[in-house]
Amino acid sequence: MAATTADGSKVVGGGEKSNVDEESKMITLFSSDGERFEVTQEAAAMSQTIHHMMEDGCVDDEGVHLPNVGSSILAMVIEYCNRHVASPDEKEDIRSFDAGFVNVEHHTLFDIIRAANYLDVKELMDLCCQTVADSIKSKSVEEIRELFGIVNDFTPEEEAEIRKENQWAFE
Amino acid sequence: MTTRRVRRRTCREKGKGKEVVEEGRLAEASSSPPLGWVAAEEDGDGDAGRAAVCGEDVDWTLLPDDTVLQLFGRLSYRDRGSLGSTCRTWRALGSSPCLWSALDLRAHRCDTEVAASLASRCAGLRRLRLRGHEAAMAVASSLRASGLREVVADGCRGLTDATLAVLAARHEALESLQIGPEPLERVSSDALRHVALCCSSLRRLRLSGLREADADAIGALARYCPLLEDVAFLDCGTVDEAAIGDIRSLRFLSVAGCYNLKWATASASWEQLPSLVAVDVSRTDISPSAVSRLISHSKTLELICALNCKFVEEEQAHSPTTFSNSKGKLVLTITSDIFESVAELFPGKVVKEQGVFNECNWRGKSKVLGEMMIWLEWILSQSLLRIAESNPYGMDDFWLQQGTSMLLSLVKSSQEDVQERAATTLATFVVIDDETANVDAARSEAVMRDGGIPLLLDLARSSRVSAQSEAAKAIANLSVNAKVAKVVADEGGITIFTNLAKSMNRSVAEEAAGGLWNLSVGEEHKTAIAGAGGIKALVDLIFRWPAGTDGVLERAAGALANLAADDKCSLEVAKAGGVHALVTLARSCKLEGVLEQAARALANLAAHGDNNTNNAAVGQEAGALEALVQLTCSQNEGVRQEVAGALWNLSFDDKNREAIAAAGGVEALVSLAQQCLNASDGLQERAAGALWGLSVSEANSIAIGQEGGVTPLLTMACSEVEDVHETAAGALWNLAFYSSNALRIVEEGGVPILVHLCSSSGSKMARFMSALALAYMFDGRMNEAAILGTSSEGSFKGVNVEGARRMALKHIEIFVLTFSDPQVFSMAAASSAPAALSQVAEAVFIQEAGHLRCSGAEVGRFIAMLRNPTPVLRACAAFALLQFTIPGGRHAVHHAGLLQKAGAARVLRAAAAATSASIEAKVFARIVLRNLEHNQAGTST
Repeated sequence: MAATTADGSKVVGGGEKSNVDEESKMITLFSSDGERFEVTQEAAAMSQTIHHMMEDGCVDDEGVHLPNVGSSILAMVIEYCNRHVASPDEKEDIRSFDAGFVNVEHHTLFDIIRAANYLDVKELMDLCCQTVADSIKSKSVEEIRELFGIVNDFTPEEEAEIRKENQWAFE
Repeated sequence: MTTRRVRRRTCREKGKGKEVVEEGRLAEASSSPPLGWVAAEEDGDGDAGRAAVCGEDVDWTLLPDDTVLQLFGRLSYRDRGSLGSTCRTWRALGSSPCLWSALDLRAHRCDTEVAASLASRCAGLRRLRLRGHEAAMAVASSLRASGLREVVADGCRGLTDATLAVLAARHEALESLQIGPEPLERVSSDALRHVALCCSSLRRLRLSGLREADADAIGALARYCPLLEDVAFLDCGTVDEAAIGDIRSLRFLSVAGCYNLKWATASASWEQLPSLVAVDVSRTDISPSAVSRLISHSKTLELICALNCKFVEEEQAHSPTTFSNSKGKLVLTITSDIFESVAELFPGKVVKEQGVFNECNWRGKSKVLGEMMIWLEWILSQSLLRIAESNPYGMDDFWLQQGTSMLLSLVKSSQEDVQERAATTLATFVVIDDETANVDAARSEAVMRDGGIPLLLDLARSSRVSAQSEAAKAIANLSVNAKVAKVVADEGGITIFTNLAKSMNRSVAEEAAGGLWNLSVGEEHKTAIAGAGGIKALVDLIFRWPAGTDGVLERAAGALANLAADDKCSLEVAKAGGVHALVTLARSCKLEGVLEQAARALANLAAHGDNNTNNAAVGQEAGALEALVQLTCSQNEGVRQEVAGALWNLSFDDKNREAIAAAGGVEALVSLAQQCLNASDGLQERAAGALWGLSVSEANSIAIGQEGGVTPLLTMACSEVEDVHETAAGALWNLAFYSSNALRIVEEGGVPILVHLCSSSGSKMARFMSALALAYMFDGRMNEAAILGTSSEGSFKGVNVEGARRMALKHIEIFVLTFSDPQVFSMAAASSAPAALSQVAEAVFIQEAGHLRCSGAEVGRFIAMLRNPTPVLRACAAFALLQFTIPGGRHAVHHAGLLQKAGAARVLRAAAAATSASIEAKVFARIVLRNLEHNQAGTST
């Protein structure tokens, strides 16, 4: 997916007809660790954050620095955007692409969510949240804690209170 | 000996909706190997998967709050409760007002205690859905959601004036109140007046089934609710039509299903309403003149919906142009083209007719138009459901031409209750007959043709419980049609049902199990269900849902019964713990529908005796056979039938057979046989079959005779139904092996009955087995044992034994000769070429006889019969042995082995060469010899 070009910048390929469209101007993004990415404006605009920057004229030839997103995650987000810009109509393909996309390690999903949240890519956010939601479904409290590595910080009194408060939902 | 069969039956629907599930959707679409998150989830192999997924390197509680809120928003209340119970941070987020602006309590028990426990979080509650009048009472008394704007309640038949009054008084900010469709029989005009007095911001009031809405109450609404613009009195008794004319703010009015309106008064008063945009008079006796009057006099009216109005339709049939001069006002009737009419609401815009209900066509257009479309969707969904429920005669054209596509449009509505109601309607309008689970082929195929299946499957995958259950119900009912079932399977329905079956919500689980039940009828779907993990899910349902949840259990057992009919699937059922689950049901469940399906499932599980050990496994479950034996006394005929079927199949296993007898099975089944003579054919057949199965051993056989089993079996042998008399003939054949029984058969007048079967049944098997029964009776053993000793004149207890014997032998001969073609036989007799013999063998072979299995004693009896002085019996014995040894027959090798061991070859050669023997007997004997060689060659290689 990410190939290094001669000048050392990364071109992230996605959909079949990405960045060849003559209309689409390229913009440059920099990850927190200084990697450089060339992206079509169209794909970049899937990020509301970048979209607003473009609208406000804050995007110049210098490129955009994204201090909160590391290169490996940024590459994935760009792959996602490219794919969704390239084939908005092919529902089935997109579905299986999405499924594969979130079929990743636990911590990677966490990082993608944070990046999607920061970059404000709504579709990606939805996809990730649904994935996490699906994994929570029908699990017990203890199983969810284990899933997320959460430490129970309630006092026994609080626990009793919570149980009472949520009892209705279990009936 | 015995035939075996696998029975299956399908069933369908009934029920209502609640909670959430949507597991594995992503994983299902993914073709990548199961590595991470989703996959571990999908595997379900517990701890291993979870450990790989659990990361200590990230702190998930550091997720941005809005992300966590999004996450909460995608969960059911149950899962929200779990997530909020993990730690303080998430507990606080789980109580955020934004998650508590709307609440759907329909799937949950809601009493005052629950309402009180919710109160602290409901301060900002705006919208509430609830079910049942107890819930309404609890909300009114304890929820303290004073900011509530909208209440939608169903199942409130018992709602009282007092509760409604308190509800209104505690929620003065109410803008929208909808209660129905169950009739509010106990609500009077008093409560209506209270609502008017308390809720001055009311914009929408929709109530069903009021006995009365008097002038005073409606006047109060007109006076105190200046914003009231949408009123629906559905299926109400009397409504003061004139008073409605005083609600000056009224824009949308529905009086659908109200039969006592004075239409002249109504039209005269409503035409004066200054803002009235649309009126719904569907399912009423409105007169065409009242419609015309509204059309011509109202200045603001744009739409009249008059579906299923008898007089309007008659008028239209009489003169089709009645309402054509309607000044741009639309009149929607069953016979009009509703899509085309509605499309006229969008002047200047090209709207594909079927797409008029698609919201993007009217979003952004005028506000009035949008509101009207939303209202129209709602009232259409109401009326269509009511029409589907009452299923009036003569609606086929409507449903096929536009009703179906309209319902599918409504499934896509932006209003959730409209979606659900449309799905419910789809589930309802295809059912022709509840009892026999018949669905209308044309209607269900119309749903399929218009793309309804993927649409409903999508709805079934939504996170809303009520949508899941209604959509699942619709798909389940539609799937009774085999063509639809195929599309459902192709579109991924099996996986969706399997996931829904895991739901914690009872209605969802029930409908999903019903769906799997109906799909499992198709042979090709059985393997797919097994592959999708459906069998495990179904077995788990039985463990998860306690006794008392009959709908879930019956459907799960029914589906497992169908699946168990398949060899491979029956192994899966056993592997998933199905034997134990089903036996548990049979032992402890009290509900007849459940017992019937559990017994059927056990019968089918036990029907693969040669291929797996399920039959024995059922018997090994503690108390299984005892429970089944006891159930033969069930009050319910269906239960008795399936239990008899199960005992029949189980009796194939030697241990089970004796265990059934030890549990009192002989007495129970004889008494069942005695009592079922006026019952269904299915029950008679299985009762006879179970006796047949038990009679394989000597002790049982004799006990059956002693208990009085011969009489009912003879009665069943007289049945005109082939399955019944064939099975009875089988049982009688086994019984006749023992002289005491043979004697009883003679004594009970059984000879003429068997002779009749032998000569005239349409089933070759029935004829064959009754011939063999007669042969057993008159091959000399019975005579030795009893008759000759007791009576020298050859008559016994009023029966002329010698006459009976002559009659029996004559008909055995006729039977054997029916298989004889003189020309072919003489050729075979003359020639030593194998081809001629094969030709005879082919001609006389009875296909189903290959399933019969004889013991050594029985084979020995036939060998002895080969030497009987009576030529007919010699021919008959050779004929029988021929059938039992035909190469390829299920038990041919077994029988050949027995014959070898008994040294039959010598006897057969003698029979083939005997000068005194008939040509048939000789040829049959030669064929048996050939069969023996063949089977021997087969086993030695």
